[in-house]
Amino acid sequence: MKLSFSAEDEQFRAEVAGWLQDNLKGEFARLRYRGGPGDEHTYPEERKVWEQKLAEGGWTCVGWPKEYGGKGCSIEQQVIFFEEYARAGAPGRVGHIGEGLAGPTIIAFGTEAQKQKYLPGIVAGTELWCQGYSEPGAGSDLANVKTKARFDEVRGKWVLNGQKVWTSLAHESDYCFVIARTDPESVAHRGLGFFLVKMDQPGIEIRPIEQITGTSEFNEVFFDDAECDAGDIVGAPGDGWKVAMGLLGFERGVSTLGQQMQFQNELDDIVALARENGAADISDIRQRIARAHAELKIMRYNAMRMLSGHSVSDGSLQKEALIYKLFWASWHRSLGELAMDVMGPECEILEGAPYELSRLQAMYLFVRSDTIYGGTNQIQRNIIAERGLGMPKEPRPALK
Amino acid sequence: MDFTFTEDQLLFQESVRDFLVNEVTPERIRRCWESGTGRDPELWGQLAELGLTGMTVPEAFGGLGMSEVDFVLLAQECGYVALPEPLVHTVLVAVPMLAELGGALAAEWLPKIASGEALVVVGLEENQLVEDAHVADLLLLQQGDSLFAASRDQVDLRYNESVDPSRKLYAVTVSSGATEVARAADAQALIARALNRGALGSAAQALGLAQRMVEISVQYTSERQQFGQAIGAFQAVKHHMANVAVRLEYAKAPVYRAAYELAVSGERSGRAVSHAKLVACEAANLAAKNCIQVHGAMGYTWEVDLHIFMKKAWALANTWGDAGFHKSRVADDIFADNAALGAGATFA
Repeated sequence: MKLSFSAEDEQFRAEVAGWLQDNLKGEFARLRYRGGPGDEHTYPEERKVWEQKLAEGGWTCVGWPKEYGGKGCSIEQQVIFFEEYARAGAPGRVGHIGEGLAGPTIIAFGTEAQKQKYLPGIVAGTELWCQGYSEPGAGSDLANVKTKARFDEVRGKWVLNGQKVWTSLAHESDYCFVIARTDPESVAHRGLGFFLVKMDQPGIEIRPIEQITGTSEFNEVFFDDAECDAGDIVGAPGDGWKVAMGLLGFERGVSTLGQQMQFQNELDDIVALARENGAADISDIRQRIARAHAELKIMRYNAMRMLSGHSVSDGSLQKEALIYKLFWASWHRSLGELAMDVMGPECEILEGAPYELSRLQAMYLFVRSDTIYGGTNQIQRNIIAERGLGMPKEPRPALK
Repeated sequence: MDFTFTEDQLLFQESVRDFLVNEVTPERIRRCWESGTGRDPELWGQLAELGLTGMTVPEAFGGLGMSEVDFVLLAQECGYVALPEPLVHTVLVAVPMLAELGGALAAEWLPKIASGEALVVVGLEENQLVEDAHVADLLLLQQGDSLFAASRDQVDLRYNESVDPSRKLYAVTVSSGATEVARAADAQALIARALNRGALGSAAQALGLAQRMVEISVQYTSERQQFGQAIGAFQAVKHHMANVAVRLEYAKAPVYRAAYELAVSGERSGRAVSHAKLVACEAANLAAKNCIQVHGAMGYTWEVDLHIFMKKAWALANTWGDAGFHKSRVADDIFADNAALGAGATFA
């Protein structure tokens, strides 16, 4: 055990901090601390330009292998990159679904042609991705996918029909990875395929969903004879569930480090406010802030403990990763409540009209979704108990 | 950075676990409860033979010269079996204090601890009561700003019955002839480190206790049938266990981190130790609460072994600094001017 960073790592830290200081200014200055949870809808165009700026500096996909255009950073360097990115107040990444989910999935399961076609756009920050998993009838029961994919021999293309929902940033995205049923006779997780679908085409319609924040970050996406090329299926027809689940391993691996630093910024805001308005003198508030801090440290230590003991690419992270979603989502929801208690009566008053929320108010509302999306707390507990602890599975009605 | 244990450390944990699970059964613990001193000299001899009482004794004094990081996984295993013998106290608190005191005291007592011939216990004011004072050969006792060494005939003992029948607790007053071995700042530093090491020991044992309670309960709820199925299949039951699993898994990293901090720096380890103690004891107490619940009425009986572990967790949560003490330490640290908290302070 050695819990410290080497001199080379600290050198790398100076390099990251220096680059951010030199570049996060001018036209990008107003992006500082923007685009985080509950604020994803802000400055989309400017943040797309920022992605490309990052790419120019070689700061996208820092954890990807070099052969795919990444920086090949060690775990330590990735930790440091995310720390400095957060410390500089650099904006929420519009490219994170491509960099954190689509890209690693294509690297792990994709063909050479798919890697050449899709990875460069992610690395360059020019092509954004969204995730087409949930459907009106496939929420907690994610495998109950009804969207169908049929291979049209005449056109030589896959043709998709159906509907996805809660699709974050679909309206800003160039591509969507979609799970759809390739075998119309199949049920549940069998007979699915994993497709890489271009968003800008006549067969796709996107309708924004207004959230309790008054803003729209996620959408309904309708597929009406939408097409993708024969080569745009990852794995074979029927492998979709395996690929989709493999992707979750990436979601709970290194990509969590960036999320934790965003949390750190929120907590720093709360501590600063508590000092400023005197809430820090109330012992209940003090102790809850101390708890929030301690639990955030737990997430970081645990991420590093997992990452230094396992390889992300071989999927061995998955067992420990089972517990992460439940922990962070519940933590973040409590942080929102803490933020409002620190604000006191001020928490009711908006920044301005129409319905302009402060960062902490937006966060308080946004965290209500954390314990729901990506598997509700209740679903997470089922998974932990059954797969983690080996408790008996709940009997299910026979599948038709 | 490396947040893992070595192959050797993990192998040692495994072999100690095998030994403890075979030897320290709930039946043997219950026999201890009925015995005169509450202690099991035969078991202590076995622990010494394995080298465990001398884990942290320097090699020059016949020990293995190992660190807190080497021992933390073993302390976890002591918790897993609810070991009644004061091994964690010896290895983490008494031995390091004697080694720091040095001189004739260390030369006389450390070899005897390593060989299992002698037991030395430490009494701090934060703890009020001293465990196993009745069988100790030497007591190191805080008296205000000083530290005294006393033999058993130099102290008066008053027994206090613990909620955990394995724990034998005594109020200790120094009667006469005790020797002052450290005073003022020196004594304060020794006391502060002893408190941190004791808290780490409680935290590590709490992890093992929680793990054991979870395993007992998973097994019970997988076997117990109601409404025509194993009760563990019901979400209302399994969610209790999932909540414990998350707390427990996430308490591990802070405990290992605290062990590392004590091993390498010692001085600025207070926050790391408090963090570890809080979350590990919370995990164990949540395990106790939820595991009793999923056992139904059986969990409320003296006959079912669950309460052996539950009561030790309860007791340990309030020794070597209770939750209030450790919470205040963390909060004070966060609100200190120029506190190192965010980016760049991951291991601060």
